[in-house]
Amino acid sequence: MPSNSNVRMQCPIASEIDLSFVDSIVERLGTSPSAAIPILQAIQKQYRYLPEEAMRRVCEISEITPSAIIGVASFYSKFRHKPVGRHLVSVCHGTACHVKGAELVHDALRRQLGIADDDDTDPDGVFTVQKVVCLGCCTLAPAMQIDGVTYGHLTHDTVGNALHDFLELERRGLVAKRFDLPNQHIKGLAEIRIGMGSCCIAGGSADVRAALEQAVNELAIPAAVKPVGCVGMCHQTPMVEIAGTNNDGSTAIYAKVDPADARGIVRKHFKPGGILRRIKAAFSSGLDNILTDESWAPVTRYAIDVRDEPVCAFLGRQKHIATELCGQIDPLDLDEYIELGGFEALRKCVTTGKPEEVIDIVKRSGLRGRGGAGFPTGNKWQLTRAVKSDVKYVICNGDEGDPGAFMDRMILESYPYRVLEGMAIAAFAVGANEGYLYIRAGYPLAVKRIRDAIERCKKRGLLGDKVFGSHFSLKLRIMEGAGAFVCGEESALIASIEGKRGMPRLRPPYPAESGLWGKPTNVNNVETYSLMPYIVKNGAEAFAKFGTMTSKGTKVFALAGKVTRGGLIEVPMGISVREIVEEIGGGVPGGRKFKAVQIGGPSGGCIPAEMADTAVDYEALTSAGAIMGSGGLVVLDDQDCMVDIARYFLEFTQHESCGKCTFCRVGTRRMLDILDRLCTGHGKHGDLETLENLAHMVKRGSLCGLGQTAPNPVLSTLHYFRDEYKAHLEGKCPAGRCKALIKYSVTDDCIGCTKCAQHCPVQAISMTPFEKHEIDQEKCIRCDTCMQVCPVDSIRVE
Amino acid sequence: MLCILIKRIFGLSAFRVFAIKSIMPNITIDNKQISVEPGATILDAANKLGVKIPTLCYLRGHSATTSCMICVVKVNGGSNLVPACATVAQEGMAVESDSDDVHSARRMALELLLGDHTGDCVGPCQSACPAHMDIPLMITHLSRGEHHEAIKVIKDRIALPAALGRICPEICEKVCRRGIHDAPVSICLLKRFAADVDLQSGSPYMPECKPATGKRAAIIGSGPTGLSAAYYLIQEGIACAIFDSRPEAGGALRYEVSKDRLPNDVLDAEIAIIQKMGAKFELNSAVTGATLEHLHRDYDAVLLAIGKIEPERAQALDIQMTAHGVKVDKHTMMTGALGIFAAGAAVVPSKLAVRSVGEGRAAAHAIAHHIFGKPIKVHDRPFTVRMGHITDEEMAVFMAYASSSGRTKHSGNGLTPNDTSNEAERCLHCECSKLRACKLRDWAIEYDASPNTIKGRSKKLERYDDHPEIIFEPGKCISCGICIAIAKDAGEPLGLTFIGRGFDVQVGVPFSEPLSKGLRKAAKKCAQACPTGALALKEQFQGDSK
Repeated sequence: MPSNSNVRMQCPIASEIDLSFVDSIVERLGTSPSAAIPILQAIQKQYRYLPEEAMRRVCEISEITPSAIIGVASFYSKFRHKPVGRHLVSVCHGTACHVKGAELVHDALRRQLGIADDDDTDPDGVFTVQKVVCLGCCTLAPAMQIDGVTYGHLTHDTVGNALHDFLELERRGLVAKRFDLPNQHIKGLAEIRIGMGSCCIAGGSADVRAALEQAVNELAIPAAVKPVGCVGMCHQTPMVEIAGTNNDGSTAIYAKVDPADARGIVRKHFKPGGILRRIKAAFSSGLDNILTDESWAPVTRYAIDVRDEPVCAFLGRQKHIATELCGQIDPLDLDEYIELGGFEALRKCVTTGKPEEVIDIVKRSGLRGRGGAGFPTGNKWQLTRAVKSDVKYVICNGDEGDPGAFMDRMILESYPYRVLEGMAIAAFAVGANEGYLYIRAGYPLAVKRIRDAIERCKKRGLLGDKVFGSHFSLKLRIMEGAGAFVCGEESALIASIEGKRGMPRLRPPYPAESGLWGKPTNVNNVETYSLMPYIVKNGAEAFAKFGTMTSKGTKVFALAGKVTRGGLIEVPMGISVREIVEEIGGGVPGGRKFKAVQIGGPSGGCIPAEMADTAVDYEALTSAGAIMGSGGLVVLDDQDCMVDIARYFLEFTQHESCGKCTFCRVGTRRMLDILDRLCTGHGKHGDLETLENLAHMVKRGSLCGLGQTAPNPVLSTLHYFRDEYKAHLEGKCPAGRCKALIKYSVTDDCIGCTKCAQHCPVQAISMTPFEKHEIDQEKCIRCDTCMQVCPVDSIRVE
Repeated sequence: MLCILIKRIFGLSAFRVFAIKSIMPNITIDNKQISVEPGATILDAANKLGVKIPTLCYLRGHSATTSCMICVVKVNGGSNLVPACATVAQEGMAVESDSDDVHSARRMALELLLGDHTGDCVGPCQSACPAHMDIPLMITHLSRGEHHEAIKVIKDRIALPAALGRICPEICEKVCRRGIHDAPVSICLLKRFAADVDLQSGSPYMPECKPATGKRAAIIGSGPTGLSAAYYLIQEGIACAIFDSRPEAGGALRYEVSKDRLPNDVLDAEIAIIQKMGAKFELNSAVTGATLEHLHRDYDAVLLAIGKIEPERAQALDIQMTAHGVKVDKHTMMTGALGIFAAGAAVVPSKLAVRSVGEGRAAAHAIAHHIFGKPIKVHDRPFTVRMGHITDEEMAVFMAYASSSGRTKHSGNGLTPNDTSNEAERCLHCECSKLRACKLRDWAIEYDASPNTIKGRSKKLERYDDHPEIIFEPGKCISCGICIAIAKDAGEPLGLTFIGRGFDVQVGVPFSEPLSKGLRKAAKKCAQACPTGALALKEQFQGDSK
């Protein structure tokens, strides 16, 4: 029988597999077909892949059929069917990483590890290398993660160092899980806040936090080190904020802090405790620390002030609603959330409000779904409310999957209570008593925080039976995704919760009518729910005052790419693309020319610099050929090739197509074939017309949003940058990006320093000291190393 | 009465709800109105209305899988296309099905599927044969000793097989895939063998002819084109008179081919059959401009099958010429004069008798359509997907179903019965087992979809034949899921499943088990329902499994 190469089952020796373990999983998770995904996830957690024996066992002892288990196991990309190397290297292929050379890093990694073309693991079985859609640390681009450790700003030249560094960490037993977030700070104490979102952790904030805590303890300082959610200023991580030391309420911010400087920062703001306290505190760390009054290295280079212009510009244009109290609250501190007005909106709803009134507020607020399509939220709720059914569901769609977009993850990690409160309000409004949060695979911190938050809310009577003592009850569960972008489509997401392959189906009927298990179901995106407490608490008008005629409120974007200040931003609707790029983002760095922004990721399109005055508004973006999408916003400069960008996104959607309908399954592949041809100089006469024709047909003839929007990146770049496509037809890449179409050469400025020869990974440059170097075009792999190492800028690309 | 009763019991408002719920939605498809049961789909409505909407993945009695998308229609003037099989008819819906836009969408869906299809519909030999004779089927019959069936298949396309079996330049053999391995199958001699056996049988095969319709055609020229045209016209119930200036019929076959290669008795025997079918031969009668005018007036159609034509002759007959020969409309084979057709070497000079024979047959169909007032469309070439280049691995798949012995050497007197079965066994049977029952091919033909518009074969040829009843060729699968659904319904313990996703999705048995374990009960049903050649009954497969 045929078996997909990545599905070919390598039969493990039966004795390796502990079937009683499988039995216990099934006993814990249930025998119904809907348990298939969680069961497979549990098996994979144990064995790091899915042994066939284990899956056969599941079929024997549950209602899950062989057909279903293989169908599901082979659908989701997180499931592995081959044993994995000792360490898993995930190379980020998010948009920001792509434009900063992720492909070169990936190639270099495979080359250095000697991984065969048809394999993903080195011959010794130490490292398995996989591409991932996005690690969500775009400001560290290009980045990769080895087990839990993130390495950023990689070059093909430094990946080897990263591997060695990791093995060294492992040898010293320092690879630890860094997600723990105990919160035990004491009220009234000054706070030393440190961002602990996934991206902050990737940027090294866990180490900084440890150093801060050590410093606070040893110096016996009356302050609490407080982990907070994402600050949004990813370009400045790790960030430390000192609050509660100035009487005017202002705070001091330190950016890009190194663990070695933690002590200095603490000392600058706090007086060390008395000598006795210090002795007591530092007893174990030796007396030298206490007796010498050390003079710390000046730390001012890290200090930034909110009144500083760049920070001011970054924060000044933003409006925090979904991300209210950004960088100030401890994500899991329920008391703090309540103290600051949290759950007030839900209380108001369930104790005094009527569902119809809530729906009315949401309708009047003008809120439209933040998942991408922009359907009016209030109307959706009303539709679900109107259907008579004993059981209804609310679902939070947290299966964000666009490369380069991680707003939902940030919100789930940083404001878990706000999301839960929003969901509860929705459930109350539509008449649901059960709900699911579908969270994308690879968001462990988000899952952990939401799980903790649900537990804490249940204990407090904010979820579960009789919320606030009312008749309203709500039971929420978490469903972890298993790696399928298409599950962001609501009907596919529902199929996935039901334990099936995540295949979308024709709508209507919409989930509002027939959703999960055929019951009326309200599906909203994370951001949509997180806006809800604000709207209900402050009223529809408070929200609707932001934005344009048809697009109200704010939108969170992940700003990345060729921009000085990247990060997560929440801006009022109606702001122009230019204001985002130039004011908030600080423009394109390195003196390059701003070329375009890509908005909406693989479903969106490019807006050229000439149209940068386009407002962030559902209709304005759509008519410009982009979409609001879920919020990825990547800035491109003149070194970015638009054909390559289109190819990049189409490769993504093509890979993520569920494979159901012909237009999407085969059509996107044929479009990709053409783009591949163009990018390698094999374009044929008529290719652009075929591409355009196919694009329109795929758009019109696909069943779900994925297929209907997949051609957008191609269509919009064809529209605005057709000349670049034509150049590719003639075998030229004007941006100098497409490897097969460019040539590296050495100019007469060469001083013969041999640096390029030393670094060339394929010996395409011979060691000729003090002579002008030559590049062997046959050997050259266009990895760009020579260009980067040349001290006199004598490498030319054409 | 019942309504009134309900109205009295429940009051007016309850009655209204009741009435709305049970209302039959009225919709229009291409402006034709129909009312359907609540919950019925557009496809149901179309079926009720007799509007033909193509489907591949739709399986009656199952919920639609909306995979193939060839049933797309447009609704209420919107630009998007929706699958008719799953879209529920709503009151007032205006459906557009029979428009250029919808047709081109369906065509593209078909072309996307065809461009990704691994396998030939008809063998390369049949595609290459100018007469497009179903060579593999002929070989199957010969290998089974079914000589009568074999000659039927041959004569469906070639009216003079014994003659051609001696002089044909074997174009089919030049593309025979077996040639990649060792040497092509001796197709031409197999045909000659079948034809000789038939002629020597004493009662040679006579095709079934429709009763005479009273219509008459005049054929000018008794060469391979004219004879062939007569052979097929008579079968359509059209009487034929064949005019030739020479004393004996046969044209170039008699007067230009050496007697050593094509003895007179062979040619005579084949002409005798056509004569016996009712053709009237008017020999020694040269056709001039005046006689052509008469024929044009007296007959329902005239065919110029006069072989290579000189400009002076054309001028004398008052017919238009191109640089090569008689000017015809290539779609109708008709000259500038209504009812006067031309075919064979008269149109494009050629020494290929097999081409002339093929043209004669095509002309016969064009003439019959013209006479009976049907639109003429000459599409003689059978629709086929082509595999193109094949790898050694794929060649091995083909070789698994053929004898490994080399090409038979023959003496010049044709093949012996023993040689014949040896040669027949060498055939790889490149043609598709589902050739005659493939919905994908049928719709492709109907929608004029080309397999070469958006090409990109990515699947390799594989055949799984471990099952006693069916053969599985994943390269022809369109991932519609019908077999998976049938296996599930049948309660197969293992069944089938989708493996992987997206473009690389495949259908297979869970845990890489063999097909025979996956389908214990539902195999036949699956093969019959499969809309392509992916799953086929073994009895449809003409190759011999070794």
